[in-house]
Amino acid sequence: MAAVRDNVFPTRMNLTMTKTRLKGAQTGHSLLKRKSEALTTRFRVIVRKIEDAKLKMGKVMQNASFSLAEVAYITGDISYQVRESAKHATFKVSAKQENVSGVLLPAFEKDTQQAAGGQFELTGLGRGGQQIQKARAVYMKAVEMLVELASLQTAFVILDEVIKLTNRRVNAIEYVIIPRIENTISYINSELDEQDREEFYRLKKIQGKKKERAANAQRELDEIAKPTINDGSLHPDFAGDFTSAESSSAGVRDILAEQVDEDIIF
Amino acid sequence: MNEIYFNADAGYLEGIVRGYRDGLITLPQYLNLTQCETMDDLKLQLATTDYASFLQNEPSPMSTSTLSARCTDALVAEFQYLQQNAAEPISKFLDFITYGFMIDNVILLITGTLHERDTHDLLEKCHPLGFFDTMPALCVATTVQDLYSTVLVDSPLAGYFRECLSAEDLNELNIEIIRNTLHKAYLEDFYTYCQGLGEPTASIMAEILMFEADRRTVNITINSFGTELSKDDRAKLYPRLGSMYPEAQTRLARVDDMDQVKAILEQYGDYKTMLSGVGTGASSGGAGGDDMSLEDRFFAREVQLNKDSFEQQFHYGVFYSWLRLKEQEIRNVVWVAECISQQQKDKINNYTPIY
Repeated sequence: MAAVRDNVFPTRMNLTMTKTRLKGAQTGHSLLKRKSEALTTRFRVIVRKIEDAKLKMGKVMQNASFSLAEVAYITGDISYQVRESAKHATFKVSAKQENVSGVLLPAFEKDTQQAAGGQFELTGLGRGGQQIQKARAVYMKAVEMLVELASLQTAFVILDEVIKLTNRRVNAIEYVIIPRIENTISYINSELDEQDREEFYRLKKIQGKKKERAANAQRELDEIAKPTINDGSLHPDFAGDFTSAESSSAGVRDILAEQVDEDIIF
Repeated sequence: MNEIYFNADAGYLEGIVRGYRDGLITLPQYLNLTQCETMDDLKLQLATTDYASFLQNEPSPMSTSTLSARCTDALVAEFQYLQQNAAEPISKFLDFITYGFMIDNVILLITGTLHERDTHDLLEKCHPLGFFDTMPALCVATTVQDLYSTVLVDSPLAGYFRECLSAEDLNELNIEIIRNTLHKAYLEDFYTYCQGLGEPTASIMAEILMFEADRRTVNITINSFGTELSKDDRAKLYPRLGSMYPEAQTRLARVDDMDQVKAILEQYGDYKTMLSGVGTGASSGGAGGDDMSLEDRFFAREVQLNKDSFEQQFHYGVFYSWLRLKEQEIRNVVWVAECISQQQKDKINNYTPIY
């Protein structure tokens, strides 16, 4: 992993671009992280609500089916009459969308028409009408619960999906993209440093070469100039002495000559 | 009715019915039933009753609807045995009893025809006691006009239809209004017929039928609060008999809430106590309530009246009473079964015990 990096050309422009990318990735990471946190908070709330609703659901459904048993006790089987006298739906569910940090959650809403509520209000007129209406009310409540639970459950599934997605992105950015960009940056940096060092070394080398060349040139000049100087400056009395100690005096003369040369050059 | 000749025609049947009555589930048996934890336990307990032979072949996870169906089978088998052995005039009396079921069946078929369903499937849903020979023919009719003009006139209920309804009414009126109109006509007819049978049948049946009429009156009144049923229509559905006819009925036809009903029923000793414990709102009903609902009180009173009819001999009322008690018993058993299967044991005692 550590070696993974973008395949870029180590230039200063790319370095700037990559640094911008790193900044972008970090901003994105923190944004996504915040989104994931917001969704998780929401998710927890929904989970709690679902738990409540499911526990309540059991109770409500039990009541509902029991009230049907009461109807059966008083009036017998009324299912066919009720079914046939139902002409249009009194309980409708409409779906709308809710936006939770960029996630569209479907929310179901009940849409009851109370005016049309009495389609089978005459059922059980002779006997058990009250029980039938009661059972109807209880079942109405149960269906309301079901609708509520349905929207919670859908939200639960969708949120779960989205949270997973977001977390995946957050982790991808945190553990893959950012390290890669950082690797790239350090790669570019090291390459640039390397180039700097090479450049520096090159410059030094060039300077050295230049100096060498200059020195050589000077020496040649000296070589040419020496006889003339010797001819001009040295007295004939000393010439005999110097010849005896030629090797030792030659070094001294060299330094002198260089010093002189330098003065001349600069 | 001459007591001397009673046993010549009806002695055997009366003996049978009294035997059936002894087969009704008694309070200790109910107590045993309510102790059951599962449906299998319940089945085991029911094996000691008359229902044993009808339940023994049921596979073990028995639903309450199966239980109800099998119990009804038991009732039907017993009643049909009575019918097969009956001669005039008891057979006529027994036929009269079945007319009530017939009305419900016919209403069911009419509902199916009105909504253009295949009525053959509905035949299975019909109560077997209300089955009459020409009933399958009702399924042939595809329009309500056909139903009325060709088929219904042949049925035993023709008289009631002719009196109360025209073919157009079948299309226009609410099916529940038709049902209640028919029931009203039937009740009145049955009452007249019983009066023609002479004492003591007349007086015993009068008491039961008058109570039935009163119950109908009160129920229709209470159940029509806040519905589209107009007050004139409401008055038309009241049976023209019973202790409330005509004075209290005309007043009941105009009331709007439970308190007014109570005020009117104050004058009647029987019903005064019945309504006193019932809440003011229509929602107070329900056999599951802590205190008894109005329906429960009516059931209890009905059971009492029907029990009383067994105290006398030489009358036909026992047949009717036995059927009503048996129906109540099936309701009780099914109720207990429901409570067990739904694990609502706290309400299990809300049945109406008979003996």
